[in-house]
Amino acid sequence: MSQSAQSHLTLILDLSPKQWHLSSLEPDGQALSLLSFITQVLAFMNSHLALRHENTISVLGAFPRKSVMLYSTPGANDSGLDSTAPQDANTYQPFKTVDTIVSSRIMEEMESISDSIDSPTGLVGALSKGLCHINRVINPATRSSIESSSPLDPRMLILSVSPDMSTSYIPIMNTIFAAQKLKVKIDVCKIFGEDNVFLQQAAHLTGGSYVALMQRNALLQYLVMCFLASSSLRKIVAFPTHDRVDLRAACFCHKDIVDIGYVCSVCLSIFCSPVPVCSTCRTKFPVKTLRRFGFGPPKAVGNGTSKSGSATPQ
Amino acid sequence: MAEHALLPFLRAQSQNSLTRLYGRPSACLSVSRLLQPLEQQIVMSLLWLEAPVAMASISSWTLPTKDAQRQWEAAIGSLNSLHLISETRGAIDLNPMFRAGLRTAILGGGTHQSFGVPCDKSDKEGKDGKRGAVTIDFLDKHASQKWETILHYMVSSGTEQGMKPSEGVLYLLRNGGLMSSATPSTITSKGFQFLLRPPHAQLWDLLSQFLQMSEDRGMDLVEVLSFLFMLSTMELGQDYFTEFLTETQEVMLEDLRDYGLVYQRKAKSKRFHPTRLATTLTSSLPPLLSSSMKGSSLESNPAGGTPDSQGFIIIETNYRLYAYTDNPLQVAVLNLFVALKSRFPNLVVGALSRESVKRALDNGITADQIISYLTTHAHPMMRKNNPIISSTVQDQIRIWENERNRVRTEEGYLYNDFRTERDYQDVLQYARQLGMVVWESDAKKIFFGRLAGHENIRSFISRRTQSGM
Amino acid sequence: MPPNRSNLDLSDSDYDEEVDVDDYDGGRKHTGKTKGKELPKNRDMGLGGKDGYSWEATYTRTWDAVQEDEGGSLQNAVEDLLARGRRRRLLAPTGAIRRTIIRHLVILIDLSSSMLDRDMRPTRFDLTLQYTREFIVEWFDQNPLGQVGIIGMRGGLGEKIGDMTGNPQEILKTISDRDKLLPDGEPSLQNALEMARSSMNHLPAHSSREVLILFGSLTTCDPGNIHDTVQAAISDKVRVSVVALAAEMKICRDLCNKTGGAFGVALNEGHYRDLLFEAIPPPAQRANPSTGGSALSSNPSSDLLIMGFPTRIPESSAPSLCVCHSELKRHGYLCPRCLAKLCDVPTDCDICGLMIVSSPHLARSYHHLFPVKPYQARTTIADAAPETCGGCSLAFPVPRVTLSDGSASGVSPVGRYGCPDCQKDFCSDCDEFVHSVLHVCPGCS
Repeated sequence: MSQSAQSHLTLILDLSPKQWHLSSLEPDGQALSLLSFITQVLAFMNSHLALRHENTISVLGAFPRKSVMLYSTPGANDSGLDSTAPQDANTYQPFKTVDTIVSSRIMEEMESISDSIDSPTGLVGALSKGLCHINRVINPATRSSIESSSPLDPRMLILSVSPDMSTSYIPIMNTIFAAQKLKVKIDVCKIFGEDNVFLQQAAHLTGGSYVALMQRNALLQYLVMCFLASSSLRKIVAFPTHDRVDLRAACFCHKDIVDIGYVCSVCLSIFCSPVPVCSTCRTKFPVKTLRRFGFGPPKAVGNGTSKSGSATPQ
Repeated sequence: MAEHALLPFLRAQSQNSLTRLYGRPSACLSVSRLLQPLEQQIVMSLLWLEAPVAMASISSWTLPTKDAQRQWEAAIGSLNSLHLISETRGAIDLNPMFRAGLRTAILGGGTHQSFGVPCDKSDKEGKDGKRGAVTIDFLDKHASQKWETILHYMVSSGTEQGMKPSEGVLYLLRNGGLMSSATPSTITSKGFQFLLRPPHAQLWDLLSQFLQMSEDRGMDLVEVLSFLFMLSTMELGQDYFTEFLTETQEVMLEDLRDYGLVYQRKAKSKRFHPTRLATTLTSSLPPLLSSSMKGSSLESNPAGGTPDSQGFIIIETNYRLYAYTDNPLQVAVLNLFVALKSRFPNLVVGALSRESVKRALDNGITADQIISYLTTHAHPMMRKNNPIISSTVQDQIRIWENERNRVRTEEGYLYNDFRTERDYQDVLQYARQLGMVVWESDAKKIFFGRLAGHENIRSFISRRTQSGM
Repeated sequence: MPPNRSNLDLSDSDYDEEVDVDDYDGGRKHTGKTKGKELPKNRDMGLGGKDGYSWEATYTRTWDAVQEDEGGSLQNAVEDLLARGRRRRLLAPTGAIRRTIIRHLVILIDLSSSMLDRDMRPTRFDLTLQYTREFIVEWFDQNPLGQVGIIGMRGGLGEKIGDMTGNPQEILKTISDRDKLLPDGEPSLQNALEMARSSMNHLPAHSSREVLILFGSLTTCDPGNIHDTVQAAISDKVRVSVVALAAEMKICRDLCNKTGGAFGVALNEGHYRDLLFEAIPPPAQRANPSTGGSALSSNPSSDLLIMGFPTRIPESSAPSLCVCHSELKRHGYLCPRCLAKLCDVPTDCDICGLMIVSSPHLARSYHHLFPVKPYQARTTIADAAPETCGGCSLAFPVPRVTLSDGSASGVSPVGRYGCPDCQKDFCSDCDEFVHSVLHVCPGCS
């Protein structure tokens, strides 16, 4: 049985203060505060580390306009002793180290946030940093220390609360393709808010799962049942499959998410309405085409509309 | 992936002692690490549920394919036999002790002290400051030295001058049938097989032997097991107090010190350090152990001349073998089945030959063991090949093994000179019913029967001749 | 055409060397044997120590390719490789250039008996098949909306091996069976070119038409005047590129020059691969036709297309009829305009005629439009510089004491590379990864 002995989990926590505030204001039974979220996520992280001695984890936080690597399992040859966490006979030391570091780092970062509460989170930054990290970990050729060369089974889990950020459409897609190349599955758990089009695509394209949380108070159970298993196990155990996947894109001009777009044939830029000149590659489009789409320079308005009425099926 | 060596042993334990064992969070954590991934998934899914789950809803967790269903049932069965789950009225629930234990382990807290009581740092500074702290490097070196002493003793059959492992270890080796109990004791064929196993398997072989023995010695198995599990969750480089250990465990400490699992500065020291051998007990990854062993065994060239300490053997299709090592143990093990030709400061050159392999086969080593040894210790450059060991070499080793199987000896009797075809057929028929026929020739009317069946066959023949007369 | 130029130069210099050595030998009364020994050495030097003509190399000495330093370490050699990669990236044009993205490519594979030559290991034929497979995978990765067809040249005929399709798996399947493609007879450039041209006749104007010829033979066996075919190719705006495995042929070079394609002769296995893979990035469209070729001036006219991005229906949904095959199916894609159910994308909706593409297909090529700016090699560590890389968050490697003159070739002596925009430092691994795979700067986003 081909089964990798080691699995690496990159956890991306969406830590937008605004969204978490909204989440805690939900009606009874659905409210989930940041604090109880962190507690449950820590338990999930420990569960992952509990499965195997060799399992590794890295945790990234996406804060408003910022992304931070909160914790990553040190290399096997590093000193296991960490002075930040005092030893305790009642706790497994690695768990304690992870928990202490992650929660204290989150608090630190949260306190340093001042004015930018509303800004979108640095999800792309977290994603790309996570991928860079995975890239370093699975390509050990240039690493200085000798570590076990057993096949790693890297995957990613995004715990998202923020809505789609259409401004970062292209970077998000680029990270998705990079993940595909690294054979990293991206799992997404949507904890709060509307379905996320781009993250749905991320899970779909990398073969991960996208789960929108139904009962927010059972977060840990959701996490354990849907996202704990390594990829080899997903052939046996039934995991949530994709519901409908929205393959929409964001247009380049207004960053709106569109289902029908106008595409430049040269550079494939997407626009939500016909434009005379491609803003990306400066290609001028033929007047004929523009008229067909009901767009025309002011002087040809009458002409253009009459033609478009007949040519465009509505 | 093979099941962990400890699980069959755990299965053989009574439900009571297992439940007592599960009372300790560290044991729960370690046991759950020994499980197969699917079993782990089941345990984890049940862990945070308060009520039993109906069988019907649980089976919807798997994909409806046949293969998945089969694996699922095997996993449930395995968990049942470990008393981790119980089935009552069509619903499955986790063993309550285990659930509580694992939850505590994951969430932390409690006052169970099952992860070992560490010595205070400041305390250590004050007391050991002059004597120098125990570093991880030192522990690794210590562990591998102890361990290699055992292996080296075995491979040289105790003849070579040098470090001799302690009496406890020797007793264990003899008891486990790895060394013959005669004096001077020599290595048995089981012992040879043991030498070629991956280091992690060796460790567990010895430990399960130890468990068996401690059962005979009347030690409390729960104590023994929970101590092993506690060790496996300890932090490398940290020292722990012995005073919180039970009496049984203090006795064990002595044995484990001999195997290199723990280090104590003095026999009566109040603190002990687990070594890497101990902290990776529940890891299924042998390289951790082997790399630490080899990494520290390069005492003669501290700069670490080998680029990758995991593999050192290169074998060519012409059966030439180059081993980049200066470790006497590895050389000695290779010498079991390789005709070594020349030796350099960090390189040993030899060749697999018919004679050398036959010698190994005579010692009870199998071809598969040789091949798996070569594969596990293949040089990183060799790992780029597929298969790692060229099929020419693999096949040849197997052919040499098969050569030995051309002739098989069997004690027995040859029955011939049957007067009639009928006589021959009847007796043959009878012998066949007994399952005692080794070889027969209808043309010559002779057959060969096993020794065990001779009495019966002879009496059958005499009865026949009597009644026929 | 850098490969070819250097090729010509080198053969010249080789010749010079030979004469020199002859004279020299004559003067010093050396035997012919010494000369033979010295010659390859000179040639190696001329070729940058690495690339020899593969038909000259009797023995491949892989260990010659890397040079150890005094300590026996290969670090310098590795560094050189890295530096080369960095330089290439720095030279690459930045900023958005116009590229054709909806591409159509026909690969003409020479299946004549000359492909059985063993100057490239294992044989030219096997190597070509192997590289073609890699090429197709990579090509579709970067040109997801493109289509590829394969035509073989064997026995004086053009032979259709794989029809134009947008599915890499289908194409790979057509060339998976080696035994069906065994080389035989003479190749015919004209026949194959005509076949390729006709298979791309129906294509709309905004898509590119490209032909890539992998040519091992030194002859072509044509039924008519091949120059007519070349003219036809020019008028159809077909861009022809040739990778020759043996030597340069005038007709091949003319073909490429006149149609605006690239021509190259493969020196050895590695170079062959490089030449082939140069055809992967979408060709840049120059706004005003430069010296490249007259065909470019009238290259595919740009157009604005209307496209729909569908919703994917999962396998678990209730089955319904699809509009394309009228079959009951569970999964499919919904047209955003008329909500018809389609089996696969990209396609045109059978009901409303809308072009349906999956947006990730489009997005795959966006990194060409907005490339990450090349990072600058830091020469010193600033005082306030962080200790971990801005990408992987791992510690920077400790700067080594022995340094080759790396700073000049774009390699940072301290192992740090800085983004010109966000001013964050990255390690060399992340630098490489960000520019070749990720295409997002972790610091800026």
